[in-house]
Amino acid sequence: MRISKIKVWTWAMLGLVALSSCDNDDDSTNPSIEAPATYSFTREGQSTVSFSGQTARIQMATELINEMKDFDNATLEVLLEMFRNETANGGDANPFESADLNASTKSVRGKTAASRDFFSTNATEGAEIKQDFEDWIAAQISEVFPNENVAAAAGTAGQIADGSSTRYVSAKGLEYNQAVNKGLIGALMLDQMLNHYLGVAVLDEATNRADNDNETVADGKTYTTMEHKWDEAFGYLFGNSANPANPVSEIGNEDAFLNKYLGSVEDDADFSGIAQEVFDAFKLGRAAIVAKAYDVRDQQAAILREAMSTVIAVRAVYYLQQGKNGLEQNPPAYGAAFHDLSEGFGFIYSLRFTRQSQTGAPYFNKSEVDGFINDLIGSTNGFWDLTPAMLDQISNSIAAKFDFTVAQAGS
Amino acid sequence: MKKVLTLLLIGALLNGCSSSDNDPNDPSDDFDRAAMLANWADNIIVPALQQYVEELGSLRAAVTDFNGAPTVNSLQTLRTEWLDAYMVWQQVSMFEIGRAETITLRNFTNIYPADAQQIDENIAQGEYNLTLPSTNDEQGFPALDYLINGIAGDDAAIVQALDNDNHKTYLNDLITRMVDMATEVRNDWTSGYRDTFVNNSGSMATSAVNKLVNDFIFYYEKALRAGKIGIPAGVFSTAPLSDRVEALYHGDASKALFLEALNASQNFFNGKHFGSATTGESLSSYLTYLNTIKDGEDLAGLINNQFDASRTSAANLMDNLSQQVITNNARMLETYDQLQMNVVLMKVDMFQALNIQVDFVDADGD
Repeated sequence: MRISKIKVWTWAMLGLVALSSCDNDDDSTNPSIEAPATYSFTREGQSTVSFSGQTARIQMATELINEMKDFDNATLEVLLEMFRNETANGGDANPFESADLNASTKSVRGKTAASRDFFSTNATEGAEIKQDFEDWIAAQISEVFPNENVAAAAGTAGQIADGSSTRYVSAKGLEYNQAVNKGLIGALMLDQMLNHYLGVAVLDEATNRADNDNETVADGKTYTTMEHKWDEAFGYLFGNSANPANPVSEIGNEDAFLNKYLGSVEDDADFSGIAQEVFDAFKLGRAAIVAKAYDVRDQQAAILREAMSTVIAVRAVYYLQQGKNGLEQNPPAYGAAFHDLSEGFGFIYSLRFTRQSQTGAPYFNKSEVDGFINDLIGSTNGFWDLTPAMLDQISNSIAAKFDFTVAQAGS
Repeated sequence: MKKVLTLLLIGALLNGCSSSDNDPNDPSDDFDRAAMLANWADNIIVPALQQYVEELGSLRAAVTDFNGAPTVNSLQTLRTEWLDAYMVWQQVSMFEIGRAETITLRNFTNIYPADAQQIDENIAQGEYNLTLPSTNDEQGFPALDYLINGIAGDDAAIVQALDNDNHKTYLNDLITRMVDMATEVRNDWTSGYRDTFVNNSGSMATSAVNKLVNDFIFYYEKALRAGKIGIPAGVFSTAPLSDRVEALYHGDASKALFLEALNASQNFFNGKHFGSATTGESLSSYLTYLNTIKDGEDLAGLINNQFDASRTSAANLMDNLSQQVITNNARMLETYDQLQMNVVLMKVDMFQALNIQVDFVDADGD
């Protein structure tokens, strides 16, 4: 199936393309497209790969989550400036350790819940999600920081032992820094990747296809706009990699966000191979853009949507099950459990940004995710009130939409 | 480090293991688990705790004497008592069960390296709450190590640095907390927990045998193998970490403390009574029993040989393990390898033979 010029795709059409293409599962869809061994693409001897904006946002988010734990120095003002990269009055802010980040005009907040496909006509929810992150940041300062040297208890924020580590939790047991950290994996990285840069609305915007067909590069750049959009999706996963052209061997060690947790899922024998699958799809999709084979490109986007959504779901279930194990110990290991549940909270929040390749919808819509969150932490004392049965119930609901079992994800 | 129960669907496990040919639920396994528990409690754990409480009493007296008359002499006595108690601690540390587990005795007694900067701050401000988990590296033996061995360059300077109300108060608060925790754990054993422990002689995941064997291997793997040897040798980092040894400031005690812990672990494995050559029912005799009824390999012998090989390897180490890491870390790595081989023999082969499931997993590091 080869279509040279199409202005408007409907989702139904896309689904048909994906379906018909997937019939040829012996990978012979287009023998003329060969993915290179590494994520390296050149034009006239110069690299066409660029994702510096994604690298910057990963690094900004890293500084933000670290600063949230700096009891001696962090202030609400600095944390919000790190999230927004601007002052409360909208002026230029320099909250980061890195001079490059301070010089950057990018921000974490600007791309949080900001994808074309999910939020361009849903600014209301986009604003609510941005506000959630600012609320967690503010609560860290107003609730948790004053109780730094108080032992946490049901209804009391403070510190709690997790083995020999110390965690700092809200009155409901939630580590706000984990909510921000794992929440951004969905609201920033995954949303931008799956629902923005891998979507045809962005890839094929305006004259992108014609420009790519004619190899018309963007102003002053070596790449076509479509090539760049694909690279930006890639950058939210591999943007902080030491060797992004060949990053699979170091998967998991390059950031505290998507890269890390694709690595975690890869390390689970039930899912081994997923990192290579993801990398291969990025490579082949990018090669397909060079070859102007947009059906192949979109097949790879579909593979990425399914695989990366699976990563989020597996980690959500994993942490719920780990949290359950902690609660079932005698005496209950509250600190260990709450740490796992705080990470699980963030991954569940991130489910809202997953993407089913066939329908274009998230695996769980807002109200479903809100329901999970309410089950987790909606009660008076939140995690302190949780039962193992409830954690199993949520785990089962999540796993039911994917091709894995709770047992496979939970260990 | 965190300890998480991996409840791998007990039903599934029971089914899955029913085909195993070394299943102690097999009717032919009549090993007297209660007798083993009684031997552990009456002849090893409680006597070790009694001795530990006693040693801490001597240490407290030495602190009191020093605070009353700070001299080089009283400092040296204090140091001797500190090391004596630290050695006995090596025989107690692995039994993190019952009240010790509830109050996380090991984490509040021996997290090293101590946070010297924070200790200085606590002393200067006179404000601290040693029951908070975040203070676990500001107390216990490592904090005392810093104060009596590391706070200044020589003994006279150390005496001078400690000779003020704030430092004396901190010394006293440290030993008081150690005594209080140890006494609480000991008293719990002697006022009821001993019977609870011995009577919980089944083979479920929550039984005393399964729990304590897990505690034992967790200790062996994390606190002994990794904490005392592997971490300083750089096994878990990009470079060796010579300042992560036990008793860093004392200098020459780290190998002795390690050997004491190694001996204590082997003695527990063999059911050897505390402070005596007598042995009773143990993991070793249990394995031997299973061996005779199943005609398997001599696992108990293999494990004892590996304890011995670890000790032989450690004979090549300097008294000061920090110095050993700096001058010839290969020797440390050799000892680590010997220790690691027993993780495999015990955590895999022994657990399988005893049909015990590992109830902890490694944390993912954040």
